[in-house]
Amino acid sequence: MNVHDILFWVFSIAMLVCGVMVIAHRNPVNSAMSLVLLFAFMAGLFVLLEAFFLATIQVLVYAGAVMVLFLFVIMLLDIRASVLKRLRWLGLVGALLVSGLLVWEIQQVLRQPAVESAVEAKGLALGLSDVVKPLFTQYMLPVQLTALLLLAAMVGVVLLSKRDLQ
Amino acid sequence: MNWYAIQLECLLAILAVVVLLTDAFRPVRDARRIGLILSALVGLTLLYSFTMQPLGEAVFQGMYRLDTLALFFKRLFLLATAFVLLMSAEFVERIEAGRVEFYVLLLLCATGMLVLASANDFILMFVALELVTICFFVLTSYLRRQVPSLEAGTKYLILGALSSGLTVYGIAYLLGITGTANFEKLRAVLTEAPVGEATGLWFGMVLVLAGLGFKIASVPFQVWAPDVYQGAPTPVTAMLAVGSKAAGFVLLMRVLMTGLLPLEPVWGPVVLGLAGASLVYGNLGALPQRDIKRLLGYSSIGHAGYVLMGVAAVNALGVAAVLFYHGQYAFTTLCAFLAIVAVTRVTGRDDIASFAGLHRRAPILGLALFLAMMSLAGVPPLSGFFGKFQLFAAVIDRAQMDARYYWLAGIGAAAVVVSLYFYLNVGRAIYMQSSDRTDAIPVSWPVRVGLWICMGAMIGLGVYQRPLVDAALQAARVFGLE
Repeated sequence: MNVHDILFWVFSIAMLVCGVMVIAHRNPVNSAMSLVLLFAFMAGLFVLLEAFFLATIQVLVYAGAVMVLFLFVIMLLDIRASVLKRLRWLGLVGALLVSGLLVWEIQQVLRQPAVESAVEAKGLALGLSDVVKPLFTQYMLPVQLTALLLLAAMVGVVLLSKRDLQ
Repeated sequence: MNWYAIQLECLLAILAVVVLLTDAFRPVRDARRIGLILSALVGLTLLYSFTMQPLGEAVFQGMYRLDTLALFFKRLFLLATAFVLLMSAEFVERIEAGRVEFYVLLLLCATGMLVLASANDFILMFVALELVTICFFVLTSYLRRQVPSLEAGTKYLILGALSSGLTVYGIAYLLGITGTANFEKLRAVLTEAPVGEATGLWFGMVLVLAGLGFKIASVPFQVWAPDVYQGAPTPVTAMLAVGSKAAGFVLLMRVLMTGLLPLEPVWGPVVLGLAGASLVYGNLGALPQRDIKRLLGYSSIGHAGYVLMGVAAVNALGVAAVLFYHGQYAFTTLCAFLAIVAVTRVTGRDDIASFAGLHRRAPILGLALFLAMMSLAGVPPLSGFFGKFQLFAAVIDRAQMDARYYWLAGIGAAAVVVSLYFYLNVGRAIYMQSSDRTDAIPVSWPVRVGLWICMGAMIGLGVYQRPLVDAALQAARVFGLE
């Protein structure tokens, strides 16, 4: 077992623990903080896969921006610690069914012979310039269009959430 | 950058931003006048677009095509936008806040549609589709003090987000398996490789079809249509009925007949089934409706069925029929909604009973709405008749080789007969029922002009179809079908 493998297990187990903590905590703020930790460990997994750009984005965007937004919403809405509900049998059966299906699917995928994916075939590295350069060259038009999209979304949000009309 | 190819989109986007900034620095007092000016400007843009020539090859790394098909639909969207802005100018006094922003969002929405007409790549398609959809999320819930509008907005938001999710999931599958997002490259890959085994390919295709099915409101992705059509502000409903639907169809044709053409044996029967189901659902569902906007919502599902007949035929005649149908459907539907806006401005009600005795109160509105209903039903000599005739001709042509298509033509014919009932019902209210209110409904001159243009086009295209048929046949050549 080399360092790489050890780190993989460390990150994976830590992620699972954090995942359980997200749903086990009764206080939503604690749940959100567990989710931040989970994202951080996931970034570790990306580093192991040598996807450094993805790892950075994972920390900056998910652990940073998205989770701050989550916390804002939780605090704004002032959600109290939830009361422990009784376990519903139907929900439990449904959850087991879905989980079973997922396990079965993963098993099926693992059984298949390894397929050369499109990403590998092109020898695409996931470095910063590999991701950013196409945005300014190949995908220039969609990026510009995204600017209009964000403008429309912003105007819409202001209009729909403004408290007093005029 | 190829400015020539995207000049129309740029014009609309600049117009939107200029209006938004003008309102921010010097608040607009007379929103109605701004709406009329914008409508005229978009109309001028439409006239200008007739000077543009198609480009031979795709630009922006093959993402964007300015071919005859794209120009055909760009003109259609500009026409729809001009009329919807005119409607909005009449409607705007009923909006409490953000009157100018209403126009801005409509213009941005139109920009997205214009790009969609040219999209030749899944990435560009998705971004443009989102631009259109997000504008509609806001526009449908614009009257946020009114429960129906909020309900419409919420339903459209949830189902729209779901369909966007499905689309992008499907795109990911297609991209992952074939390694390309470009429609032409996709076709080349699929023609070379043995496609029969790739289940993921079918999966991706079905998901993309589901996303586009939502846009065109075809069964089984139609549940939102009646509620949203009823609840949304009337100009927005018109934009959904004409613009959004046409945008969905141009994408559907580009995806199916360029990118996924080698998979025709797989998707052919699917589209056939969707067409039949939409015809049955839309036309039967419209029978008991009492609200005119809801009625048009069901009718819109039915019309998605008619147009899908042309797509299912997968021949040049079918594509040309789809284009012609959209051209005349735009005039017809815009005419109906323009009349509805003018009437509800005074009556404030949408139910068909409130249209009773309309021909006495406002003869031109009564005539326009009646003609529009007859054209939707496909009564000769109006343009709707010839549109349906072409679609049926395309399906019968295909049926020579595949007998299943006779069934589709049969269902379509039955649907036409059924639809006569509910369209004539509106006509009955206008001409044969009397109302206790007899005060005249004022019609402003811009609305009059708009109505005359639409009525002229409905009758003109019904009698002399040549120009539009020629344009449609020329645009249909893009796909190189027989």
